[in-house]
Amino acid sequence: MVTFYRRLPKFDYLAPQSIEEALALLSRYQGSAKVIAGGSDVVPKLKRRAMKGIDYIVDLKGISGLDYISYDGAGLKLGPLATVRAVERSDVVLETFPMLAQAAESMASPQVRNRGTVVGNICNAVPSADMAPSLLTLDAKVSVVSEKGSRTVAIQDFFTGPTKTVLSADEIVTGIEIPNPPANSRGKYIKLTPRRAMDLAVVGVAVMVTPENGICKDLRIALGAVSPTPIRVAQAESILKGNKFSDELIDQVAEAAAEGCRPISDHRASAEYRRDMVRVLTRRAIRELLSDEAASAQGFGKGA
Amino acid sequence: MKSIKLEINGVQHEVEVAPWRTLLEVIREELQMTGTKEGCGLGECGACSVLMDGKTVNSCLVLAAEANGKRITTIEGLAQAERLHPIQQSFIDNGGFQCGFCTPGMIMSTKVMLDDNPNPTDDEIKKGISGNLCRCTGYAKIFDSIRAAKVAMAASSDGRGGA
Amino acid sequence: MAEFSLIGKSVPRVDGVEKVTGKAGYAADFSLPGMLWCKLVRSPYAHARIVNIDASRALRLPGVKAVVTGKDFGGWTWGWMPATRDEPPVAVDKVRYWAEAVAGIAAIDEDTAEEACDLVDVEYEELPGVFDPEEAMKDGAPAVHDYAENNISVQYHWNFGDVEKAFADAYIVREDRFATSRATKGYIEPPATLAYYDPSGYITVRAAKQSPYFHYRHLAACFKLPLSRVRVIQPYIGGGFGGTKNDSLAGDFCAVLLSKMTGKPVKYVESMEEELTTSRRRHNMITYSKMGATRDGIITAIQHKVIADGGGYTAVGPLSLYLAGFGTTLPYKLDNFKYDGYRVFTNNPMGAAMRGHGVTHTRFAAECQMDMIADELGMDRLEIRMKNSIDNPAPGTTYTTINGVTLKTCGMKEAFRQVAEPYWHERNELPKKEGNISWGVGVSGAPYLTGARQMGHQACAAIIRLCEDGTVNLITGATDCGQGSDTVLAMIAAEELGIPVSAVISQKVDTSYTPADPGSYGSRVTVLGGQAVQKAAQEVKKQLVEVAAQTWKVKPEDVDIRDGMVFVASDPDKQMPFDRMARVACYSGTGAVIMGTGYSTYGLEPLGMESGYGNAGVSYSFTAQTARVGVDLETGQLTTQSFTIASDCGRMLNPLLAEGQIEGGAIQGLGQAIYEDFIMDKGRTLNPTFVDYKMPHSVDIPEMKLIDVETNDPDGPYGAKEASEASHVSTPPAVICAIHDAAGVWIKEQPATPEKIVKALKEKAKEKAQK
Ligand SMILES: Cc1cc2nc3c(=O)[nH]c(=O)nc-3n(C[C@H](O)[C@H](O)[C@H](O)COP(=O)(O)OP(=O)(O)OC[C@H]3O[C@@H](n4cnc5c(N)ncnc54)[C@H](O)[C@@H]3O)c2cc1C
Ligand code: FES
Ligand code: FES
Repeated sequence: MVTFYRRLPKFDYLAPQSIEEALALLSRYQGSAKVIAGGSDVVPKLKRRAMKGIDYIVDLKGISGLDYISYDGAGLKLGPLATVRAVERSDVVLETFPMLAQAAESMASPQVRNRGTVVGNICNAVPSADMAPSLLTLDAKVSVVSEKGSRTVAIQDFFTGPTKTVLSADEIVTGIEIPNPPANSRGKYIKLTPRRAMDLAVVGVAVMVTPENGICKDLRIALGAVSPTPIRVAQAESILKGNKFSDELIDQVAEAAAEGCRPISDHRASAEYRRDMVRVLTRRAIRELLSDEAASAQGFGKGA
Repeated sequence: MKSIKLEINGVQHEVEVAPWRTLLEVIREELQMTGTKEGCGLGECGACSVLMDGKTVNSCLVLAAEANGKRITTIEGLAQAERLHPIQQSFIDNGGFQCGFCTPGMIMSTKVMLDDNPNPTDDEIKKGISGNLCRCTGYAKIFDSIRAAKVAMAASSDGRGGA
Repeated sequence: MAEFSLIGKSVPRVDGVEKVTGKAGYAADFSLPGMLWCKLVRSPYAHARIVNIDASRALRLPGVKAVVTGKDFGGWTWGWMPATRDEPPVAVDKVRYWAEAVAGIAAIDEDTAEEACDLVDVEYEELPGVFDPEEAMKDGAPAVHDYAENNISVQYHWNFGDVEKAFADAYIVREDRFATSRATKGYIEPPATLAYYDPSGYITVRAAKQSPYFHYRHLAACFKLPLSRVRVIQPYIGGGFGGTKNDSLAGDFCAVLLSKMTGKPVKYVESMEEELTTSRRRHNMITYSKMGATRDGIITAIQHKVIADGGGYTAVGPLSLYLAGFGTTLPYKLDNFKYDGYRVFTNNPMGAAMRGHGVTHTRFAAECQMDMIADELGMDRLEIRMKNSIDNPAPGTTYTTINGVTLKTCGMKEAFRQVAEPYWHERNELPKKEGNISWGVGVSGAPYLTGARQMGHQACAAIIRLCEDGTVNLITGATDCGQGSDTVLAMIAAEELGIPVSAVISQKVDTSYTPADPGSYGSRVTVLGGQAVQKAAQEVKKQLVEVAAQTWKVKPEDVDIRDGMVFVASDPDKQMPFDRMARVACYSGTGAVIMGTGYSTYGLEPLGMESGYGNAGVSYSFTAQTARVGVDLETGQLTTQSFTIASDCGRMLNPLLAEGQIEGGAIQGLGQAIYEDFIMDKGRTLNPTFVDYKMPHSVDIPEMKLIDVETNDPDGPYGAKEASEASHVSTPPAVICAIHDAAGVWIKEQPATPEKIVKALKEKAKEKAQK
């Protein structure tokens, strides 16, 4: 049977006042409770019945103090209620981690960004999640709690499959920590879409490079929408590290990035095009970062 | 059922709603304010845009319960009695709509944009309404309307085009 | 004194305040006490026999009031022409496209109705489906309808002149295959209705229909009621653009029948995903185009074989296929033209009407092919167009095409002249390459018809009644679905009566009171409705002038009305404000009612669908367009930088509104050219959302420069012709020709997505390497 729903399914709405209370609800209701931050992923999914068996919505927005975006010299901390819009407009983010602001701005629409959160974006864990590639290159760490205890998960280990993460149903992400990147590093997120707004990435490429006297001290490349999860491509990164920049090596890096991903064909693009674009955009990102004076002027690591 | 309080266009409402009701459903169906439109119901068209604590949101994606205690502004709240808001007047004068279905949402996005930044560049204008689809106008006359509204609002001391 | 006091002025819309304040009521904004909600159960197969439907579980769900299935409509079917009435309101024994409706449910609220959908047990026997129109035409393909041999729904074979000889004599002949996409109207308002079948036997419906009278006839026929017992009241319409809002939907029929069964009003609102999945969309058409030209670029022959994907039912397909052929002899002179058109049934959603109806497909093919020929001949792409364009007939004369299309005005050449300087000629001074971006400019020409003919009823009528306070009631059957016709018609009434627009009170369509009208269809309202209003207003004026003449004891010829004043020019003592004279007239003698009626008389000869000969409309508009587009040679991404659009839409009655139409049409054309397409998998639409069905957003819009080419057509009120469909048709070829200019690749299948461009660039590189 095919039905096109306009209404949400029935559920109860719970608004805990503290993390502890939220955790208790999650453990009480096992898999039938769903956490929401902005709800911009969960609500459409519920409406389209793409998510089933949810009897309880646990809204974190009743808990105060979770929308922080703070910088303490060692790194940036994002609370689970920090919205995409707030990150995009935050002075400290713009100054210190401009790549994050850039990725944030590339998402959806002002309305969705006003609701959606960075944490929700990674927890939702679609391969095209726009915040993921930048966070991957920044070696972000995700703080997780449950009634059983807390743990910190490196973002590289966070995603386990399309819309799947290491989180179990009774866990909550309490924040993302983003350490200062290497001094003199600069980064960029390129999102490939047919339109300029309200579009999902056909390919997303985040690159962070640390040049020093013509030598590549560090290179990190993360890709979105071209594998079951957002990924880093270590093999590609290693080609340039410690070597002098050259067009030839950059091409090799781009080639290795293209080989390092596992794209699929769907209604948005073919696997072949996606792979080609990883090659093109990886090369483009590195070249632009190297030539971009402005990037170094406002680059990373200022606070380091 | 949940009892929630909403301040809509300056008026306090207390309504009993099911937890799965959206803010849009409550505004349109419970409160019978049908100026806010439903296009896609999925956050993709912006027809349902309202202001919640001064920010634009897709009311089709906000649970009514999430809006409890919030300040909401809808299209019905812009004009003061018979006096149109300068943005509304500007959309009329500059042909900023045809069928008018996207218009309430478009005007709400414009309002926030101009409240945030009274002098947006053309590029900022385009970005400011990038969450609002319009199929009729091809946007050109919407851009004209926003540019003219910006001038009208700047010219008035109260930012509303009045004296 | 200016010739007109209102015509030609940018008068703001008459419905402006309602629309900017949220007070305008659209179909879904209405509700009635005790109202039920309707929801449709839809098929999970594209082609299947319905073996059994058991709704007992659904009926047991508390809150469910009634369920209807296809059988409850008593075997009634409908269609655009008597010969093609093959569509039931709800599938009866077979479903022919994915998500076709199989049952309708009424419940106390929409949540319950939705929940009940899952409880309707339908047993299907899946049948092999056919999804490609060219496959569907082959022997042995699964039959969508038993009556259609080789799944051919409609075909036309026309032959004018002698194409064979012309090709033999031509210096150059090209053959190419082009295809248009599965584009859709994309209005933001989903279809909706609120229906009440009064137990005494009257149907009242508020529905989002751009042609309320179609719906009115469908309902009367379906429910076997005299037309006088069906009342369709038109609310504000959130965009039309053809297709779904011309026609009646399963939800419309079910809401009425469910109301009849329950005695309650029933509301139905389609979800946008449902609309994008199931609605009538533009036919995707394949055009095999053969074009011949002389050495100096005179086009001598065009042969088109067109295959249109019709989907599961005929709908308005005969007209779509006709228009795809008819339009090819415009806007260029052509002596030899052959057309073989096939509309083919498949198990896809129905192909139907949309802005630029029919013409967009073959014009795209012909414009691109003309460029290919110009390039091969080493000719400038604008020059070949200037050379072939039809000249503007001298006043009082007509130009007749080889298939009998008659033009009284044609601004095509002038429009090309207008875009030539500076836009076309300046292009070489603009940068060709910036980084990865290669820039190109395209030029195209396009016609469209004003006042598309119908098969049966064609005319529009208007009634104007003078009220004693000096306002007039304007009553027409014309529907304003956003294009601004309420405003233009009010302007016409006001112009003729010498009163302000604000004194004209337009009534929305209510089939019980307004004159029958085909609705907003084929760019007809301004011209046909406009003429009707003009005549009605002239009659009112005549009657009022007579009253004034009697009052002042002068001859009626000496009285005139202007700027709200009734006066005798030769005698300054004899003048009176319009409203006072209205009062005098209304209160005089026996209380005569001052009322004028009028109807359109333009172009009443029938449509020659079989022969392909004769007019499809009353007059023809023309657009010349340039587009500057940047192609990222590595990613295929496009930057649409600017459009210049020179339009001959006769006389612009209201430039603000006409420009809005032209811009809106062009941007919808841009969507079709580069973004919009439904991606299908065995009849199922994979991208039925506004994120994945990509209509242009604010940030995707080029600078648009509009140029008005005025021609003043005798067959239009004040010389008006249509505006918007021609710019919708000229945009895709302009953009795709620009992509070729920029990147050297032809994208012959719309839309020109980044991926297609990259693929074409790769192939080109491969070819080059092989050479
Ligand atoms: C129209 C539209 C366009 C969009 N466009 C884009 C786009 O361009 N790019 C893009 O990346 N995304 C896009 N999205 C998706 C979405 O907006 C983002 O992923 C957003 O960041 C999600 O954040 P949220 O807070 O709204 O998530 P929610 O919907 O609240 O949650 C998402 C998921 O994360 C879980 N979750 C949230 N917070 C926590 C927590 N603290 N602990 C544990 N689990 C948690 C939820 O349980 C859920 O599974 C779009 C969505 C819409 C509706
Ligand atoms: S209706 Fe809410 S975004 Fe479309
Ligand atoms: S005016 Fe119709 S959608 Fe914008």
